[in-house]
Amino acid sequence: MVLYTLAISDVKEAWWLYAVGAFVTLFIISGSLFFAHHANKRSKELNMSRENIKKAVISSVSFSVLPSIGIFIGVITMSGFLGIALPWIRLSVLGALHYELMAADLAVEGVNAANLTTENFVTIAFTMTIAIVWGSLFTLFFFKKYQSKVIDKATKKEGRSFGPFLFQAVFIGLISAYFGDAFSKIFGYKVREIIDGSYTGNDSIETTMVPLIVFVISFLSMVLFDYLIQKKNMKWLENFQLSFAMLIGMTSAVLLGMRGIF
Amino acid sequence: MNDQYRNKMHRYGRIFMVLGIFVMFLAPMMIWLITGQAPNWAQMIAGVVALSVIYLPGGLIEMMTYSPLLGTSATYLAFVTGNLINLKVPCVMNATEICKTEINTPENEVISTIAVAFSSITTVVILSIGIIMLIPLTPVLQSEILAPAFSWVISALFGALGYKYFKGNWKMIIAPMIVVILMSIFIPTFVNGQVIIIILIAAIVTLIFSKILFDKEMI
Repeated sequence: MVLYTLAISDVKEAWWLYAVGAFVTLFIISGSLFFAHHANKRSKELNMSRENIKKAVISSVSFSVLPSIGIFIGVITMSGFLGIALPWIRLSVLGALHYELMAADLAVEGVNAANLTTENFVTIAFTMTIAIVWGSLFTLFFFKKYQSKVIDKATKKEGRSFGPFLFQAVFIGLISAYFGDAFSKIFGYKVREIIDGSYTGNDSIETTMVPLIVFVISFLSMVLFDYLIQKKNMKWLENFQLSFAMLIGMTSAVLLGMRGIF
Repeated sequence: MNDQYRNKMHRYGRIFMVLGIFVMFLAPMMIWLITGQAPNWAQMIAGVVALSVIYLPGGLIEMMTYSPLLGTSATYLAFVTGNLINLKVPCVMNATEICKTEINTPENEVISTIAVAFSSITTVVILSIGIIMLIPLTPVLQSEILAPAFSWVISALFGALGYKYFKGNWKMIIAPMIVVILMSIFIPTFVNGQVIIIILIAAIVTLIFSKILFDKEMI
């Protein structure tokens, strides 16, 4: 079935593209449930406590809600240029908002919502899909070998070993880098103008204290929650403390915004 | 027994990965087949090459850095469902911290798999609800009042998570924090524009400093 006469607006919002989105969603849910089922079976063989499994489920779901709403805002951001269905599909699998915008920009430079053609649209879709697939391919071909040759050796416990610190360093590196991300914005960060879901090419350097304040308030909220859990025995809070701390941090950004501080 | 389970999950993971890559290509292939409009090959190749300069080494670094933290099944799952650094990796860090499991142990494999699986489900369910309720939700989520909350969601996430890691490892944190603060003052746009590179630098600094502390038996 080849419909050469389809206008770009019809292609962007075509029912079959939404059907692909629904299929991708079902694929991810089925795959996740498949692996979770095997992990659960394994937990019984290992005699792990049901309480811990429940904690892992509840904390992961509650933790993922706010960042997922952030990802959905990415779909809305891209929708002005590419419609709803393609950004929905792209942000449901390997990818991220800034990557997708960059891919669209590099694939069809200078094209915007007003002059987008079907050829641009299909070129963007292929470019976005191909250029991000490297991580998946490395995982497919090299992860098993890397795990047995490197990770197993590094985490082997023989008396006092430096191995565990190796991966702890990655965690600390990750958090330090995101502290830097927030802190450095006091001195300057590049803002790329987005209109109708695509970059306009206009860049500016701005400054803000807000991400650092959000970082510190979320951090301090965790100190408070930790105190309530440890000293006041509010164990139920354990699974939600991260989500609550994030919510308090994000609320502080809203309150600052209401006072004109962005 | 552990190797047997791990080999089985590698097999399933690889099958899932191949299927996942096929599923990722469904959308562009469908657009091509149904409209009859092929991509502009020259533009596509130029775009892919330009992006791959960053994302090819980036993909390798991500696989090498995050797979030890994620474990077997969760690595395959996360490299299909995406959002590793802003969601899956912190989610696993949180779950393993709550359940007190250690990297590369059978128990950690279970907890990280469950964390990534339920995080992935939460994301696609929220995206689907968002699509269904797009018309009433768009003005709310794009309102000027709420915009700052979601602009800085990553700072909120790592601020909250930071406490859990800083609390137990404060001696290891001093050196990377000093380096990151100095870099932020002198090259701010590089720090917030190239986070992957900053993670690597901070991790290497942590590693060197931790080795000194370890050799002096201070950690």
